[in-house]
Amino acid sequence: MFKILRDLLRYNIEFTIGFVLTLAIFLFALAHFWAPLPAEAIYLLPPDMPPSAQYWLGTTSRGQDVLWQMSAAIWNTMLFGLTVTILSRLLAVAVGMLSGYLGGKWDQILMTINDTMIALPNIPILLLVYFVMRDSMSWPVLAATAALLGWNYDARLIRSVTLSLRNREFTRHAVFAGMSVPQILMRQHLPYVMPVIFFTAMNNLIWAIGLEVTLSVLGFSDINRPTIGGMIYWANQHQAIIAGIWWWIAFPIIAIVLLFLGLFLLAISVNEYIDPRSRLSRMGA
Amino acid sequence: MLIKKLAAAALAIAASVMPAAAQDFIAGIPRNEALIIQGPAAQNAEWFNLWAPGGGASNNGLQQLTADTFWFVNPEGTGDAAWTNALAADRPQYNDDFTEMTVPLKQGIYWSDGVEFTAEDVVYTVETQIANPGMNWSAPFTINVDSVEATDPYTVVFNLKEPNSRFHTLFTVRWNAAWIMPKHVFETVDDPLTYANNPPVSLSAYEMHSYDSAGNWVIWKLREDWERTSIGMDLESEPDVKYVVYRNAGNPDARVIEQMNHNLDVINDIAPEGMFTIARDAGENSAYWFPGYPFAHPDPTLPSVLFNHQNSKFQDKDVRWALALMIDIRAVAMGSYRGAANLAALSVPPTGTAVVDYYEPMQEWLTSFEIDTGARTIAPYDPTVAQQIAALVKPQWGDDIPDDPAQLAAMFGHGWWKQDIEAANELLEKAGLTKNGNQWLLPDGTPFTIRLMVEGDAIPTLARAGTILAQQWSMQGIQTTVDVAGPTNGQRLGAGDFEAAVYWTVETWGGHPDLSFFLESYHSDFIVEPGAVQPPRNLQRWQDERLDAIIEENRTVSFDSPEVVQLGMDYLKLAVEEMPFIPLMAYNKFAPFDTTYWTGYPSAENPYSASGPFWSNTRYMVVNLEANPNAPGAQAAQ
Amino acid sequence: MDGFPKYLLRRLLQFFLVIFLGVSGTFFITKLSPVDPVEQSLSLMTNFGATDPRAVELMRQALAELYGLQGSIFEQYLAFWGRVLRGDFGPSLSSFPTPVMSLIMSALPWTVGLLTLALIITWTLGNLLGALAGYYRTNTLLKLSGAVVMALHPVPAYIVGLVLLLVFGFIFPVLPISGGAQMNLQPGLSLDYIRSLIQHGTLPALTLVLVGIGSWFISMRSLVSNIVTDDHVVYAELGGVSSGKIFSQYVARNALLPQLTGLALSLGSVFGGAVITEFLYNYPGVGRLLIQGIYRGDYSLVLGVTTMSIVAVAVAVFIIDLIYPLIDPRVRLG
Repeated sequence: MFKILRDLLRYNIEFTIGFVLTLAIFLFALAHFWAPLPAEAIYLLPPDMPPSAQYWLGTTSRGQDVLWQMSAAIWNTMLFGLTVTILSRLLAVAVGMLSGYLGGKWDQILMTINDTMIALPNIPILLLVYFVMRDSMSWPVLAATAALLGWNYDARLIRSVTLSLRNREFTRHAVFAGMSVPQILMRQHLPYVMPVIFFTAMNNLIWAIGLEVTLSVLGFSDINRPTIGGMIYWANQHQAIIAGIWWWIAFPIIAIVLLFLGLFLLAISVNEYIDPRSRLSRMGA
Repeated sequence: MLIKKLAAAALAIAASVMPAAAQDFIAGIPRNEALIIQGPAAQNAEWFNLWAPGGGASNNGLQQLTADTFWFVNPEGTGDAAWTNALAADRPQYNDDFTEMTVPLKQGIYWSDGVEFTAEDVVYTVETQIANPGMNWSAPFTINVDSVEATDPYTVVFNLKEPNSRFHTLFTVRWNAAWIMPKHVFETVDDPLTYANNPPVSLSAYEMHSYDSAGNWVIWKLREDWERTSIGMDLESEPDVKYVVYRNAGNPDARVIEQMNHNLDVINDIAPEGMFTIARDAGENSAYWFPGYPFAHPDPTLPSVLFNHQNSKFQDKDVRWALALMIDIRAVAMGSYRGAANLAALSVPPTGTAVVDYYEPMQEWLTSFEIDTGARTIAPYDPTVAQQIAALVKPQWGDDIPDDPAQLAAMFGHGWWKQDIEAANELLEKAGLTKNGNQWLLPDGTPFTIRLMVEGDAIPTLARAGTILAQQWSMQGIQTTVDVAGPTNGQRLGAGDFEAAVYWTVETWGGHPDLSFFLESYHSDFIVEPGAVQPPRNLQRWQDERLDAIIEENRTVSFDSPEVVQLGMDYLKLAVEEMPFIPLMAYNKFAPFDTTYWTGYPSAENPYSASGPFWSNTRYMVVNLEANPNAPGAQAAQ
Repeated sequence: MDGFPKYLLRRLLQFFLVIFLGVSGTFFITKLSPVDPVEQSLSLMTNFGATDPRAVELMRQALAELYGLQGSIFEQYLAFWGRVLRGDFGPSLSSFPTPVMSLIMSALPWTVGLLTLALIITWTLGNLLGALAGYYRTNTLLKLSGAVVMALHPVPAYIVGLVLLLVFGFIFPVLPISGGAQMNLQPGLSLDYIRSLIQHGTLPALTLVLVGIGSWFISMRSLVSNIVTDDHVVYAELGGVSSGKIFSQYVARNALLPQLTGLALSLGSVFGGAVITEFLYNYPGVGRLLIQGIYRGDYSLVLGVTTMSIVAVAVAVFIIDLIYPLIDPRVRLG
């Protein structure tokens, strides 16, 4: 694993940039545990201070330090994204591998459900769920809902990989050796599926974070919890843009775009790494 | 090659679309004849029936510009000047026991289709609504009216089922009231509940010109026979405003941008920061209620911390008072309104005539008011709060902030309760609570926590106030979390599904000292069991025998009797002692006007009309505006 | 010809399944709502006027009857299906008594227009740029434009839209930022109206294009760069076929097919982006209607819009599925 990482860092500039960006933002988010003031506290600092030596990224109209707000916000947003990603990966892997391995009728049924879910418009359904849940809608509930909507593309990908493994020699050996279906899937197939999971995880993380931002910006989430979308929501409540408090909006947007860029570069470079054809062409070039 | 061609094509498309600025803002209507007002995003754009559910609160100009009824109260006015006889020729005339009300009508008023308005329209309005229980004013008519008759074409007599000295308020416009229906239109209709009334016949000076079926705008035009309306016959000359455009101008940011681009003359409400931006960047061609900071127009509504009196936590008045004394009102004012709040210590909005009738006469009483904390007696009132807030905002606003205490009181309110943590702690101990570390415990030993409900996006300033209150209480050992109820706010307040909330249960006429507008519904007769729906407005479900006595007495005195003020004061004193809810401030609305095309907007100095364009009173502003002679295109037209 | 009917049958089954599951799901989710429509509209009505407490009770009874909220949940479910099939979601509660369906129908053309335009531009431009970038891998201009669209791709529509709104509506106020067309202009085929439509649609459409273009670019580029190494392309190059011909005949055409499938699958998420964009630009489409419905607690409207958007997306997917075999002979042959 470390060898792969080292290889990627050494030979793939996109991966290196992505890795550094993501790591840097992660470390920045981690720093909120050492923040001087609690992230939920308001009006403890002078409001509307532009970026300066004292407040590097300025302060909000609610008397919060943008720097520390952002740190906590990115942490919460990433936590949300990762929760969605992990939950939806579990679903995608389970459905994809079962479908691919079992084949036949099971495959048809599972993929029909899968394709049905793909055709459902996510945002209206999430909005509907919010509409119903109101303030009992905590972020874990939202994450679970998002995960339920976000696994199907990737289940299809995983299925196709499993499908190709099914007829391989070692699968047959395992069957003859008396391994159960879960054992075969976990021990024999999962290692091959792993890179696909990793690749789709990046894209899913991007999607989930985008979802969080969209819903929070509209105020459809817990407004007391600092998140990137929540920061923009509060900035809008104070008309920060037209009032000239640009740092309240600009820095969170820059941070989120950098995070997206990092994750995205990771995703495409890992994809390239997995795909032998493009790796060959890179070596040839 | 291909790429270059593509780029060229893209540029060509862009170029054909770009010159947006060169076009008229409204097709076919001269900009300097049109007043553009912020309207709602109407969903039922084709619906103009004011008398069916959903139609009674049409903010798109329908109720402001076409409807009419007997009387108007200017919520900003004081004394006699606040009262306007509209369709009625005189004030309401009751018999001695208030079982009969006679209304003489003005003559020479016509509907926009040329039919004369008469007493028959009034009779029809009342009888039709009684006959159709779904209609907006059906229920109050059914309860009150035994019969209604037109004794001649210009006189209506209402016979009431029981004595009611406030029956006329049904026909008295503050925000809206029971509008008169056009009999000749509705009597040809099968079902008045499902009739769209499109296009609407107008009884006031403007009539429908055109509307957007997508609900983004409605345009009204001055009637050619504008003189044959109750508002028109009092005017000395033809109104300058020929067209009124109610347009949905998007979110608060978009509204500010549109006003600065001169595409929106009247804004209903924005956040304080948006107002400050307009004052800073477009100060030369904009006007406000106050010419400088705090700019805002105080509505006669009273945002307060409401306690659910059916929740055992809040049944002790010492607890409620303790929570009030934990508040640093300066921080609340700064956080919610950037200091631009008109603070209220009394349970009546500090606006209009309430200032001279209640706030000023009661200052002495407030200053000498004392409470017993169990350990000692304190006088909690701080009459210098206005000065303190002025000092806080002075660094930013400088000369906008006067030194004269009287002027400061008009801007920031008369005073509020001094934050006094020690006294608050003593009161909590007196109420049997104990402190464990930094956490207050209820008498039963469980932690004292509060869930504070706010509506959220629809009223951002109050949501902001809620987060500050929550923080202040939490810091004193009462863990408070803010719940955003969104559109369920009204419903949850009604059902008592809240612990505490930032909302209002007091609204007044503004231009009249009578408090029956809200007080009538505070009678204990109307209080329901927990879980059942409480009728507006006693949402805190406050119950007190002394309160009932005041309400019952108020019913027996006439609307304009001087006793009304005395009873009002009794109520206010009781509300201070009991602190059933914590009044915070008037609902301050930031409603800037663009003066590029129009001048003569109402202001604190000349409060001839309400400034909110959703209020029906706004019609008096529309007809009084003057075209700005320096407007772009004004010279060319001459 | 066994393949096509079988293919069609499967797609049809899928189509009905999507609608059945989606519609049932939305119905039951809505039934969990704490929003009581009667109390909701009562509070809308009594917010500002003087209200007699006794009168409110009368009003409550009248409204419950008007809204027709009676019967067990299963009866309501059946009745709901009946209404879906008839295309009748009852009256909107916040815009009573206008039927939800007529609100949706008057908003729908705006959304369909905006989406169709944005999708066509996005898909064409994204695929074209992607294909070119995959084929001419060393072109700097293509690399640069690739970097831009790829960087924009993961950014949420709201943020892209907000930035565009600020730049073109506030800093350089050259384009309208609100509404669908100029005020007081009669809808029709007049030049003024069309120009006004384009002006008002530019920023919303641009938002959707900028957000959407990246994913087409990326997948097209990787498809093309894979095909480039395929045997038949290599042979053609060796055989001296011109590079322009190889690009259009051998490469782009083969890569387009999977992109068409992708188009069908992306409709759902594109619609989601449109919801946000419409809200931001106050565009009178279905998305804005939905968000307004949520803000106003209008549950019949929210239910109606969600159901209709599920049905509409399913129909669009189905149509693309039907076109697909006409282009890809492999499906026709099974």
